[in-house]
Amino acid sequence: MPFFKTIRWIVWKDLISEWRTRETMSSMLFFALIVILVFSFSFSMDQDAARQLIAGIIWVAFTFTGIIGLGKSFTSELQNDCLESLQMSPAPKGAIYLGKVAANFLFMLSVEILLFPLFVLFFNLDVIEAVGTLLIIFFLATLGLSAVGTLFSALTVQIRAREVMLPVLLLPLAVPVMIAAVEATRGALSGDPFSFYSQWIQLLTIFDIIFTVVSFWLFEFILDS
Amino acid sequence: MIAIQVSNLSKAYGFYRIFEDLSFDIYPGECFALFGPNGAGKTTLLRILSTLQAPSHGQFTIFGQNGVSQKEAVREIIMLIAHGSHLYDELSATENLQFALGLRGQSPAPSQIKRALDRTGIGPFADLKIRQFSAGMKKRLDFAKTILAQPQLLLLDEPYNALDHAGVVITNQLIQETLNRAGTVFMTTHDRDKATQIATRGGILKGGHLQLLSPEQLATDAVF
Repeated sequence: MPFFKTIRWIVWKDLISEWRTRETMSSMLFFALIVILVFSFSFSMDQDAARQLIAGIIWVAFTFTGIIGLGKSFTSELQNDCLESLQMSPAPKGAIYLGKVAANFLFMLSVEILLFPLFVLFFNLDVIEAVGTLLIIFFLATLGLSAVGTLFSALTVQIRAREVMLPVLLLPLAVPVMIAAVEATRGALSGDPFSFYSQWIQLLTIFDIIFTVVSFWLFEFILDS
Repeated sequence: MIAIQVSNLSKAYGFYRIFEDLSFDIYPGECFALFGPNGAGKTTLLRILSTLQAPSHGQFTIFGQNGVSQKEAVREIIMLIAHGSHLYDELSATENLQFALGLRGQSPAPSQIKRALDRTGIGPFADLKIRQFSAGMKKRLDFAKTILAQPQLLLLDEPYNALDHAGVVITNQLIQETLNRAGTVFMTTHDRDKATQIATRGGILKGGHLQLLSPEQLATDAVF
């Protein structure tokens, strides 16, 4: 069974479905906007405090926004019992997993790219010189979140309290990604030399590799059970 | 080669036994209709044969491939039409076929897709999203998938549900075509009148046991 064609079909199906409903992206964007507004008003009196905390605020917004998208990733497969057709498909389950990771990654990264200018605007950030580094950090952290989040989205989709269980299971595992992302983002936004925070980017890369490989192997077992 | 070989198959949920020690063989070119009251375990048996559920005991093979240890090989040669249509609401009929066949490693030409859709009466609705389809239209589209996929074993769960008379005729024609190319059909149904028009053999699953029916018994009211 062609591995890469399966990935392409899953990404195509998820993107085209989302393009037609805009269900996931709109709920992600709406939630993230609320977070930005709340934090922006909370710190409007103290810009220095905001600058100290902005990296954390960015990743709280991005992570919880991502969880909304990840939650919808497999619930959309419940309509008309489509999950069954994925289960009994002869396509490699690892390819289905990677297709789902790619689609979730694209949704999350798109929302992040749309939202980041709002952070710059509301928190008066000077990011011109750090844009390239920030994009690398966003790319790696989002990949880590979607790799582990896609697995837990599949794991919790058949559970009645899946909306609660997904963040409960996902967040403890995502903590290393979030810490590394916050530290690297803080370093980039503060204008520190790259070598000061490059270890956090290395950590993100290692987490991405470990999470993707482990989730890739576990996915077949989870989908079949 | 035997199409479906079931040996001492049992399924239980906790202490509740659905069925016990089922053993039967179905051969290529046969259409087997499984009858039985609600809750007898017909759909459970079908889900086990389609590799969606594991049996509690026993084993089964599909065209020589073990249904538990060689699931992936089995999945390449079977197709299930179940209560859920396995169709995506936001995709059109054509897109759903492309996607389903794509996951089976097949890429039918647009003309083949059009022919399959026309054959099942869905041709005029090829570009309509599934969310606008009725249950009967979804069922017909499921059968269009089987025309293109040409599985060796077609598993059907209540195939006549939601179909009008024309849909029933098309369904039985497609089952006959599957049998003509030495494929096998295993269906569960309550609709004896429609099933006996096409079934070559059958069985009644009741009280956890299977009573096999000969073609002559299939046509007799007394056993039902």
